[in-house]
Amino acid sequence: MSVALPRNTTNQTEGWLVGDIARVLHRVTGGVIVVFVLVHVAAQAALHAPAMAAVKSSVGTWLPIAQSQHWVHAVLYFSLVFHTLYGLRLVASELGARFDYRRSLWVIIGLSALVGLREVARYV
Amino acid sequence: MHEQPEVIVESTDILIAGSGAAGMRAAIAGHDTGAKVVLLAKGPRRANHTRMSGGRYNAVSGANPKDTPEAFYRDTVESGMDINNHELARILAYEAMDRAYDLEAYGLAWDRTEVEKYYMSMTGGGTFVRTLGSIDEGIGITEVMLHQLHARNVRICDFHMLVDVIVGEDGRVAGALALDLSRGVWRFYRCPTVIIATGGTSQLYETSSGPAINTGDGIAIALRAGAELVDIEFMQFIPISFVYPPSARGYTLTEPAHYGMRHFDPNAEAAHLVNNQGERFVLKHDPVRKEGSTRDVLARAIMLEILEGRGTPEGGVLMLPDKQVFEAFLKERPTYIKRLLENYGEGQARLEAPIPVMPSALYTLGGVRIDAWCRSRVPGLYAAGEAAGGVHGANRLGGSSMPDIQVFGRRAGMAAAEEAKARGPVPEEAGIAQARARASALERGMHATDGVRPIEVKKRIQKLMWDHVGLVRSGPKMEETLQQFGEIRAQVLPALKITGKSRILNREWMESIELGNLLDIAEAMASASLLRKETRGAHYRTDFPDLDPQWTANVLVKRDGAALTVEKQAVVCAEAPQTQLDKHKAIA
Amino acid sequence: MSKQITVVAEVRRHDPSQPGEPHYQRFEVTGIDSMRVLDVIRSIYENQAGDLAYQFACRVGRCGTCAVKVNGVPVLACQEKCKPRMRIEPLTPFPVLRDLVVDRTEVEARYAALKLTPQRTSAHPGRPEPIEPAVAEKLCHYDLCLACMVCVSACPAVAERAFDGPAYMLKLRHMAAHPADSANRLDQALEAGMLECFNCDVCTQLCPADLSPAQAVRDFRKQMIFGGGKPA
Repeated sequence: MSVALPRNTTNQTEGWLVGDIARVLHRVTGGVIVVFVLVHVAAQAALHAPAMAAVKSSVGTWLPIAQSQHWVHAVLYFSLVFHTLYGLRLVASELGARFDYRRSLWVIIGLSALVGLREVARYV
Repeated sequence: MHEQPEVIVESTDILIAGSGAAGMRAAIAGHDTGAKVVLLAKGPRRANHTRMSGGRYNAVSGANPKDTPEAFYRDTVESGMDINNHELARILAYEAMDRAYDLEAYGLAWDRTEVEKYYMSMTGGGTFVRTLGSIDEGIGITEVMLHQLHARNVRICDFHMLVDVIVGEDGRVAGALALDLSRGVWRFYRCPTVIIATGGTSQLYETSSGPAINTGDGIAIALRAGAELVDIEFMQFIPISFVYPPSARGYTLTEPAHYGMRHFDPNAEAAHLVNNQGERFVLKHDPVRKEGSTRDVLARAIMLEILEGRGTPEGGVLMLPDKQVFEAFLKERPTYIKRLLENYGEGQARLEAPIPVMPSALYTLGGVRIDAWCRSRVPGLYAAGEAAGGVHGANRLGGSSMPDIQVFGRRAGMAAAEEAKARGPVPEEAGIAQARARASALERGMHATDGVRPIEVKKRIQKLMWDHVGLVRSGPKMEETLQQFGEIRAQVLPALKITGKSRILNREWMESIELGNLLDIAEAMASASLLRKETRGAHYRTDFPDLDPQWTANVLVKRDGAALTVEKQAVVCAEAPQTQLDKHKAIA
Repeated sequence: MSKQITVVAEVRRHDPSQPGEPHYQRFEVTGIDSMRVLDVIRSIYENQAGDLAYQFACRVGRCGTCAVKVNGVPVLACQEKCKPRMRIEPLTPFPVLRDLVVDRTEVEARYAALKLTPQRTSAHPGRPEPIEPAVAEKLCHYDLCLACMVCVSACPAVAERAFDGPAYMLKLRHMAAHPADSANRLDQALEAGMLECFNCDVCTQLCPADLSPAQAVRDFRKQMIFGGGKPA
């Protein structure tokens, strides 16, 4: 097994900045989760809270449509899995675990995509 | 006519020009001895030659029981072909280790094999294994020293180019004129002592290893201020450096790549060098030591192959490295392996494929003549490091520059601080008129509307030096070159054009000032080389190809009005020197 | 075999001492295909724009003074290979002196404030200081930081938050790892905004010296949680 060479850092402007992708994905998926929780709480309140009886019927105009879109499930599940796994990876790295920042991102994106695609398969 | 430019005046005890290790060590020592220090860096402070050293630090640490400071001293003088200033060589050998401990105190960690045992390697020309190292140390050394300067609150002025040292009527230093390139503003530092630590003259040559800023400013300034130069004809060329890309051309590949297993074992074989026919051409020049020969022999051999058309298309020859040293090389100097990978490829980085190499100007062996405390013959003017001459003689041991700059940087700082204390402040008006006049003269260039661009002239000088006052010299060619230098001085320098008129970071303006310095040193080098009618160390003449024992002497160069005086003088062995005059007038 | 290519460079020009807004000037440069961005810039200066202000010195990636932004990414100009189209700008977020040269005064002031020399409780012994070889090697690697500011320029946390930057974290970690240093480097890191780091490793990816300032931050965070710093 040969000794690893130092990196060739003469093409830094080509390709992606992995950390930027990770950061943006983590933010966006976090946003998706926040939006989902808000929508979920609002919808459930409208459906079950006696005080919100006046708006209960309006929920039916959009909720079933949203729930039947495969991509809504896909995006939501992808977001949940990605945000959780990547968040855990961040915490683990600060507790001493060593990760290759490229490989760990692609693995996590891959796993999240698998779960997302599974949702597509279920709802399509 | 143009109005007098504004010159901002301030006072200090010591003005140091140069932010490499010599300048920084002088600043630390000067400050610690109680003086007020201002340090000028021509560009950002990290832009210096020390930074680029991946090399080693020769010192007698005691880890090799066979080695002694006397042995180190003898190696230094033997490598220098007996024309070193023996006193300086001895000081280097005896004080190197203490300065290494200082660096460690500053925070640099020397490589170790055990908790209290330093890692050592061989250096070309040394007798015993003694060379310390710290991974890619040039960077580490400059960083720890910069932070030591921060801790002492020493003022460092980036983008401040030393332009001249002003000598008062009493013949003593009155101050230093500098140009703040970041604003285009002139500054006069009124001070009793100035330390020249501006490094060498690598930029004098077409292909060189050093940084772009090393145009020998300090050496030329010292010469103009009345100091003597010693051994200025000796320029050390490294045999192997990068051939491409253009930005890396000339950058040294350093010892281990070339020496192979010889890096650890003086009896091992060095990496083979072949031309485009696959021949080991070095065997023609040194059949005994072969590729283990000295740097100067190898550099010349390679140069001749390239000149005679047996080089590679890109302009080098091929080195067949020894992959056994790969892991050691990777550990010692990972940045070099990285460059091999990035410039050439993976095979070359693993020392498994042929590596294109070419010779390159590396180190200015001569410089300002100094005594044991870095004093030049101008009271108040000091020099240390590559800008000073005499320590290494005709050829420097690899690994000796790092201790040189620490040892003599410290001495310069201490001595300057003592002198500043003894002399007291410089009288208020001393030197200001001269400073203003000089600033005024140099403003002229900013207003020229027509002429030659400085970069063209610089390239012309670099080519002349590389072709005729470089690795291979001859009397007639050098005479011709001096004629051309005279013509450049008389006709071209006064007619330089500066395209941009911004006062901020005007590179052409800086280059036009540098040109004066380059030309001064080029003339000094050519003149001194003409006088030395022999071949010794880095100085090789086709018309005098042998060593001449009569020339176990030094050549001193000094200004005599507008002319250069070049004379032969006996080597300093702590005996009274004897002089033989042999004036050679430069064409004014 | 190397060949000749022609590249297009848009260089940001601005002289703060003159009226006029920053603008981009377009140049075409022909040269060997292994040219670096610095070679392109130097060619522009030598042949087309003699009034261009740019900074370099060692041209081999050791002084760190040539850092610029190329196509939005901070790099060392002497190391980055030229691209067919390049937008070359001075390194953000530093004040611009002129064209491609930035003012590093504040950088030095921040370094100075961090006191990055070993704060010793006892003087150096005057013989080899007892340091484990592996620790010595680690210190040497920290030492390789060029202070080029590429990481600080690229760091999203520096852009968004009150964070000094990855380079300072790395140097603080260097001191923390030094056996002879007794200062509380964790406290200094916290004060410099260490907690703002996104742990994204953009600095690791872009560091021209193959260092990881993000790892220095992770080491500090681990120390913050588990302890393990040197006794005061």
